[in-house]
Amino acid sequence: MNAPDPRTAGLLIVGKDVQRTDAIPKVTGAALYVADIQMPGMLHGAVLRSPHPNARIVSIDLSAARAMPGVKSVITGEDTAHKKWGAFRPDLYPLGIARVRYVGDEVAAVAATTPEIARAAIDKIVVKYEVLPAVLSMNQAMAPNAPLVHDDCVGNIAHEFNFERGDVDAGFKASDCIVEGTWESQRQWHTSLETIGCVAKFSDGRYTLWCNTQTPYLARGRYSAALGIPESQMRVIQTEVGGGFGGKSGDDNCSVICAMLARKTGKPVKLIHTREEEFLASHPRMPMRYWVRLGFSKAGKVLAKEIKMWADNGAYTGKSQAILGAATVRHDALYKYPNARAHSKLLYTNLVPTGAFRGFGNPSADWAVEQAWDLAAEKLGIDIADLLRVNAVEPGDVSPHNHKITSCELKQCIDKATALIGWKAKHKNKKPNRGLGMGCSLHVNGRRSFGDWDGSSAIVRINDDGRATIISGEGEIGQGTFTVLRQIAAEELGLPYEDVDITRPDTDVHPYALGALASRVTYVAGNAVKRAAGEASKQLMAAAAEQFKLPVEDLTIINGQIGPKAGPESAYKPVSVIVRANIYKPGGQPIIGVGNFDNPSEFPDHSRFGNESGSYNFAAQCVELEVDPGTGMVKLDEISAVVDCGTVIHPAAAQGQVHGGMVQGIGFAMTEYFDLWNGQPTDPQLKDYPLPGAANLPVMHVAFADSYEPSGPFGAKGLGEIGLDAIPAAIANAISDAVGVRIHDLPITSEKIHRALHPELYADEIALPAVEPKGGMWSRLSVGRPSGPRPFIPEFIVAISVEEAVALYAEGESALVSGGMSHALRRERTGYPQAKRLVSLARVPELLDLCIDAKSALHIGSAVNQQRIYDEAKVKTGWQAIHDALEAVGHTRLRRMITLGGSIGPLIGGFDLPIALLALHARVTVAGPQGRRTLALDEAFQNRFAKDELVVSIGVDALHARTGSAFHKYMLRGELEIPTVNVAAKITLDVAGDCAAARVVVGCMGWKPIVLDLVDLIGKPLSEQAIRESVQTVRTLAQPVADVRGSAAYKREMAVEWAARVLITAWQRAK
Amino acid sequence: MLIKFTLNGDAVEVALKTADRLLADVLREDFQLTGAKLGCSIGACGICTVLVDGEPTPACLQLAALCDGADIRTVEGLATADALHPVQQAFVNQTALQCGICIPGHVMQACSLLEKNPNPSEEEIKASVDSVYCRCTGYHRIFEAYREAIATAQKTAKVKA
Repeated sequence: MNAPDPRTAGLLIVGKDVQRTDAIPKVTGAALYVADIQMPGMLHGAVLRSPHPNARIVSIDLSAARAMPGVKSVITGEDTAHKKWGAFRPDLYPLGIARVRYVGDEVAAVAATTPEIARAAIDKIVVKYEVLPAVLSMNQAMAPNAPLVHDDCVGNIAHEFNFERGDVDAGFKASDCIVEGTWESQRQWHTSLETIGCVAKFSDGRYTLWCNTQTPYLARGRYSAALGIPESQMRVIQTEVGGGFGGKSGDDNCSVICAMLARKTGKPVKLIHTREEEFLASHPRMPMRYWVRLGFSKAGKVLAKEIKMWADNGAYTGKSQAILGAATVRHDALYKYPNARAHSKLLYTNLVPTGAFRGFGNPSADWAVEQAWDLAAEKLGIDIADLLRVNAVEPGDVSPHNHKITSCELKQCIDKATALIGWKAKHKNKKPNRGLGMGCSLHVNGRRSFGDWDGSSAIVRINDDGRATIISGEGEIGQGTFTVLRQIAAEELGLPYEDVDITRPDTDVHPYALGALASRVTYVAGNAVKRAAGEASKQLMAAAAEQFKLPVEDLTIINGQIGPKAGPESAYKPVSVIVRANIYKPGGQPIIGVGNFDNPSEFPDHSRFGNESGSYNFAAQCVELEVDPGTGMVKLDEISAVVDCGTVIHPAAAQGQVHGGMVQGIGFAMTEYFDLWNGQPTDPQLKDYPLPGAANLPVMHVAFADSYEPSGPFGAKGLGEIGLDAIPAAIANAISDAVGVRIHDLPITSEKIHRALHPELYADEIALPAVEPKGGMWSRLSVGRPSGPRPFIPEFIVAISVEEAVALYAEGESALVSGGMSHALRRERTGYPQAKRLVSLARVPELLDLCIDAKSALHIGSAVNQQRIYDEAKVKTGWQAIHDALEAVGHTRLRRMITLGGSIGPLIGGFDLPIALLALHARVTVAGPQGRRTLALDEAFQNRFAKDELVVSIGVDALHARTGSAFHKYMLRGELEIPTVNVAAKITLDVAGDCAAARVVVGCMGWKPIVLDLVDLIGKPLSEQAIRESVQTVRTLAQPVADVRGSAAYKREMAVEWAARVLITAWQRAK
Repeated sequence: MLIKFTLNGDAVEVALKTADRLLADVLREDFQLTGAKLGCSIGACGICTVLVDGEPTPACLQLAALCDGADIRTVEGLATADALHPVQQAFVNQTALQCGICIPGHVMQACSLLEKNPNPSEEEIKASVDSVYCRCTGYHRIFEAYREAIATAQKTAKVKA
């Protein structure tokens, strides 16, 4: 098919970019998310979590917490129903009983009158643990005599699949080309910008939960099991959901604990994950080790596939065994595999429990298998696009696991995706360090998972004002369900889109539904709504027939008006008139249509044999990128994605799903990862987990295949997940094409590429043992306690002169507040302010001075914020390194919060502005009880300021003629985070163009910045080579610490590389 | 500690429960203006962005005490009873939202850019969109919303001229 299906020709509302149902509430701030809910008498909850990956709880002392004024309830595992719960394999207690199994495991909870008191009460709980040996990797889980994560689970194997379809050995025997390899993937967190949360109330013997859940009914089923109550004793109401991606699909303890606190106190209770808690307890993507072997004929026909896979379940299972299944079999329906063998194991570890995340196992499988296909293409000498095309499944195909392919335009997807990126032309004219890669994927549209039903039911009511209401329990999580279901109902009813409403799920009211998972809502719920609308329409037309006294066949409905097909416009009556007349008559009744749809699929057997879904959606994606061989940095230039999702119901929303998936795929591939220390993600907050931002995105081409799924509503299928799946593999394939480096372990980091390109630089590397990471700039709360302020009322004094500030500061127990940022961060991170007394410098006139004096020197007061300096045109032209450093901060809103004093005062070499100022030979003036003094910033870094001194200003002389300055910041992930290295340089040339002076400063290579005056260059003509030779000394001076931003060896190489690059920039500017 | 400021055009005053209270808490709790959301509480995500004296400001880092005398605007202050602000209308028209939790931050950020510079360059637009995270959209449609809002602003400017 290569044209729109004729069956969609007459559609009026489906296929149009109608206004989203939730658009206006969301742009005006009126949309209510769970954190926005306030109730009279509402209490606030907080949770104490385990600081140990594996420990026995010896005792818990709650007395001090219970005694605190404002504390209404403190609970532990002993207060629970002692019931384990979980989607498939109940293994989780709402609060730990006797044992904790990962850093973050819930131990106790508090409800109090304010969040501050609740957190302070958590601080007062004393738990004695007996620390047990922990299983901190899959290798440790599989080791002989490994500790058991759950005593009843021998070998730590939570689930296992082991099967063969066809004759795999014969397939390999007949193969001319065999490829194999092992690929690993890491945890990826959903990182919805809204964390998991709940407001719970208990009254009249029933629980009501306002949850930001993707799946209200499944949540109700699991949470009530956890509480040990019948489901009907719980009512779940879906609030606005601020992002789901699988993370809010009812595997969390948050709502269960919140409900228990509400039951204990008789008051509404609000409990919202902090960002740190979200990184511990939201069931991120499951890491996998995936070995795959593929066999092909000479012509490139696939003959056999075998996989062995190990997946990291973490401490509790949630939906992970289903994810294991998807990653084991799903890919076998993408290409025409005649024979397949698989053995996969789900392993318990004492690590963050994993679970459902957009893609549900497929991205990790694709990461391996789509790279194996690329290896095969190389080996066979066939263009990967051609190889995939030859083997792509087609309508009528049946996979080895009985997946029945109905509509399928995978070949069209491949053709369009390659055309969009200019594949053939670019392949012919390959440029150095540039590469092209591609990958394909498929997804279910709903999957029989929780029993032999994957259906949906819906009610469509036509009201007596002529408007219709859809009542469906599926819910909206931002993907556009409400809009799409309204379009489907309006199309079916013949009503204008604006005349169809939809209500938010409430399990007391709405019919049973499974909710937003498995890309199922458009296909499964869309069909149910279409049927309900069809039924309502039938009743409406029957009523009209009675009123018009005409046969139904002679009537029609156009845009909310009903009348005789051949009749004049004046003969038409509005729907409202028909509906009212049908009610207000003896024996009358309202018009209510009910529709049910069950996915035409099979419940897979224990070996995952069975057609999981009634239809499948497909995608092909191509990537073009460039690798910087000096750093290993990858720059994504273009990505194309073409999706077969059948009829596209709302093009803009559909495009948004694909764009969003692609960008999450980029994050999975390249930016989203933590280091683990003792089973805990190090510093789990957004600063160290950079999401892809808008600045570094490639050009994205998104298109849809012409396709029509006969079993879908108006021909539609799902597409919520598919945009993500093949992206990491496509990027890796493109890197291989660009520089011949094959990446086997996610994430793809610049360091891995750099090491592969320059093994000689690492030949003498001495691997150092891992060291415990230190807290960040702001000391962290002890693990397991919630971040956020505790009750504390500091004094706040607004100083009006430097002398007043100095005097107040010297009195002790005071902290200086300039922009206020470090104070706000410290308060959020440690719970307490810096001191009993906060002295604000923000209103001291002298400190707000920014000027250029008579000698053309720059003076900046310490309370001047970075944005003001950034906006000063003369700084940009006169002291470029300063402007570069402020540019590198990234955002206006952050530059506004950071003052000069805040960036200089702590004398931290990793900050950007001091590095630039050091290169420019800046002076700093400080004031203390003994008066003022001015010293070189360099000297300040050597000798520090006195404890009672505060920064007044800096001064920088005008740069000499023929002088250039520059600053560069190298962030490993290219996103806003602490740099791997930051560098600045100043170069002055003499009249002959030779070097008169050269200084380079390198930060992040130890506590103090490296400041080098390159005397060896003076008097010589400059060249890139001379500069590169001169900065080799940086290698020996650098003393970097290994962390998530790179190994010590890599950081050292980058220090040398970027020192050279920044000098070159400064030199160019000097010319 | 008592502070006074202008909030969405109204002169208001508020007694800070603690002197180091953050602007986000004052807006959300004392004034029940919950449009500014808290996503990370460390200034990384930008979804709490409000305008302080016209400048985009992370309400999660801004000490309320330092806002004495400031002009503060939040997403709730943009639309009139009859019409959305052109930036809001552009986000609606361009389907530039999914879950919506970041949208108040994006809308305020865009307003700030366009008020200062009605004709921003592509680089300036990119820096502006980049300063607020969005986990759903992949940003493409948010860029489209910026472009529509810029076009609308230019049309309005022409009519006025």
